[in-house]
Amino acid sequence: MKLTKEVRKVSKELFQASFTDGLLDPGKVRGFAAQIVAGKPRHYVDILKNYHRLIRLELNKRHAVVESATALSGDTSETVLRDLKSKYGEGLTTDFRVNPDLIGGLRIRVGSDVWDGTVRGRLDTLDQQLATV
Amino acid sequence: MSTILQELESQIAGLKTSTSKSNTGVVRECSDGVAKIEGLSDVMLNELIEFPNGLFGLALNLEETEVGCVLLGDFTEVTEGTEVKTTGRLLEVPVGKGLLGRVVNVLGQPVDGKGPIKSDVMYPVEKLAPGIIKRRSVNQPVQTGIMAIDAMVPIGRGQRELIIGDRATGKTTIALDTIINNANMNRDNEGKEGFRPIYSIYVAVGQKNSNVARCVTVLEEHGALPYTIIVTAPASESAPNQFLAPFSGASMGEWFMDNGMDALIVFDDLSKHAVAYRQVSLVLKRPSGREAYPGDVFYLHSRLLERSARVNEANGGGSLTALPVIETQAGDVSAYIPTNVISITDGQIYLETDLFYQGVRPAISVGLSVSRVGSAAQIKAIKQVAGKIKGDLAQYRELAAFAQFGSDLDAKTKAQLDRGQRIVEVFKQKNYSPLPVEQQVAMLWTIQNGYFDEVPVPRVKEYQDKFNEFLITRKEAVLKGIWDKKQIDKDVEGLLRAAADEFKSTWK
Repeated sequence: MKLTKEVRKVSKELFQASFTDGLLDPGKVRGFAAQIVAGKPRHYVDILKNYHRLIRLELNKRHAVVESATALSGDTSETVLRDLKSKYGEGLTTDFRVNPDLIGGLRIRVGSDVWDGTVRGRLDTLDQQLATV
Repeated sequence: MSTILQELESQIAGLKTSTSKSNTGVVRECSDGVAKIEGLSDVMLNELIEFPNGLFGLALNLEETEVGCVLLGDFTEVTEGTEVKTTGRLLEVPVGKGLLGRVVNVLGQPVDGKGPIKSDVMYPVEKLAPGIIKRRSVNQPVQTGIMAIDAMVPIGRGQRELIIGDRATGKTTIALDTIINNANMNRDNEGKEGFRPIYSIYVAVGQKNSNVARCVTVLEEHGALPYTIIVTAPASESAPNQFLAPFSGASMGEWFMDNGMDALIVFDDLSKHAVAYRQVSLVLKRPSGREAYPGDVFYLHSRLLERSARVNEANGGGSLTALPVIETQAGDVSAYIPTNVISITDGQIYLETDLFYQGVRPAISVGLSVSRVGSAAQIKAIKQVAGKIKGDLAQYRELAAFAQFGSDLDAKTKAQLDRGQRIVEVFKQKNYSPLPVEQQVAMLWTIQNGYFDEVPVPRVKEYQDKFNEFLITRKEAVLKGIWDKKQIDKDVEGLLRAAADEFKSTWK
C-alpha cells in the first residue's frame, strides 16, 4: 500500500496519542476513529487504514498465543500466565489454542518472539540438521 | 556406523530438554525478489533471514514497522503470510584455497558440477576494509603480460586499476590475459624461494551465461583455472545476487590477503553491478537520485574497492589487487558511474573503439590511460627501457595528426614518426598470449636502441616474433639474466646487444 507522507504523519500522531500510562487506551482509539470518520479529512480512509495497522501491530506486541497439543490443565495455564506476566508486565492478553500437530510441548508467541518447546519444533530442527549433513 | 547412532541418540536426547527462542515475522508483500516483513523486532541490518524450504533473505531496510528483505534464491514459493525468522548471522561465503579452480555462485555454492567445495572457513560478505595502520604503499608489480600496460600503465600489488571502454573493445580480454599471465608465472616459479604467487578471482556480474562459459573455457585451455576462482551472477540471476557477487568475491580475495598471500580480483563489470543495485534500491522504495541510481551508489563502489589493499609486513604482507571493469556508452567517460569509479580507483586503462578497429589491439589509449601508484612497483629493468616510451608515443600521436596535412617533413620529425609507428606495432599483441616480463624488457630495449628502425613497418611484428623466438630458443641466458637481476646491467646489456646484432645479421 502506497502511503503519502501526510497519511503517515497523521496516523502516527494519532497512534502516539492513543496511550495512557504507556498502555493502549481503547477509549481513545475509538474516539479518534469516530472523529476521523465524522470529520473526513483529506485521505481519511488511508489514515484510518494505517492507524488500524499501527494499532494491530501494537496489540500483537502485547498479545500472547499459547499453543499446545492438548488442552492445558488449569494449574499449567495459570503457571504460564504468571510467568508471562512476570516477564512482559501487566496488560498482556493471552489466547490458549490447541494444535495436535505439535505432538507435545508448548509454543508461546508474544509479538515477534517465539519460544518453541514442542516435539514438532524439535523434529523440524533435527530434520534441518540432518538435511545439511 | 556406531558414531552416527551415537550422534542421533544425543540429538534425540537433546530434543527432550531444549526450548528454542526465535524472533519471527510474517511476509506482508513480496514482489521482484523483495519481501516486506512485519515483526522481526530483533533483526539487525544485513542479517540473514530464514524462509521456509531453505531460502534465505538479507535484511536491507529496517523501517519503523516493517523490514525490507531481498531474497537470495527462488522466491516463487514465498507468499503473503509466510513465517520467517532471524538467524543472528550475517551473510557468509566459504573462502580458502579449496575454491581455486571452481565456479561458484554468490553464496559460494558450486555451479560447475565438480562436487562439493572443501572449505571450513567462512568470511562475511560485507567486511570493513583494512585501516591505515595495517596498510603500506604499493611496492611490488602485478605483471599483466601485456607490454603496453606493463611498460606504460604499470599495476602494483594492492592497486585498483580501472579497465574502461565501450562494448567489445577488449576489456575482459585484458583481465583474462592478466589472469593467464599470473597463472603461467605461478606454474613456472612454483616453490622457488622469494616468489609470491598471485591467485585470481574473476567476478562475472550480469553477464551472459555464454560469456562466462567462454571465459571458463579460455582459462581452462590456458591452464589458468587451477589458480582462479570464478564467482558468477549472470544476467539470469536475481538483482540482489548480482549486487552481492562482487562483495562475495572480495571476501574470497581477502582471505588470501589476510593469510599473507597475493590475490587479484576482476569485477566484470561494475556498470551492470550499479544497475542491479539500482533495481534493488528502487524495489525497496529507497529515494533515487541522478539517473535513478540511489544516493549511496558511490559508497557501494568505494567500500567495495577500498577492500583491495597492500598490508604491511606486521600483518602478513598480503595484497588484494582490484581490476574493476566499466563499460561506457559511446565513449562517454563523464557519465555518472564511470566518473565515480574513476575517482575511486588508482588509475585507469582506457580502451578506444577507433584504435580497436584500426587494428591496434589491445586498444589502449596512451593519453587517457594512467596509473597513479604503479610506477613505484615497476622492476628496474622495465623502468630502464620504458621510461621514455610513453612520451615518445604521445609525441608520435601529436605529430601524426599534424603530418596528415603536409607531405614535407624534416628529418627529425620523420624519424619520430617512424619510431612511433614501430612502437605501435610492437605493442600490438594477440589475445590470450601474454609476454613474460623478461621478453618485454628485451623487446623494449631492442626498439629503444634502434634495431627496429630499418625494419619496414608491415614487417615489424614478424621481426619481433622471430626475435622473441630466437631469444627463447637460442639465447636463454639473456632472458634468465634479466629475470634474475631484474635490471639491465652492463653484462646483460652486452649479451642483449650481441643477441640483437646476431639476429639482425641473419634476418631477411
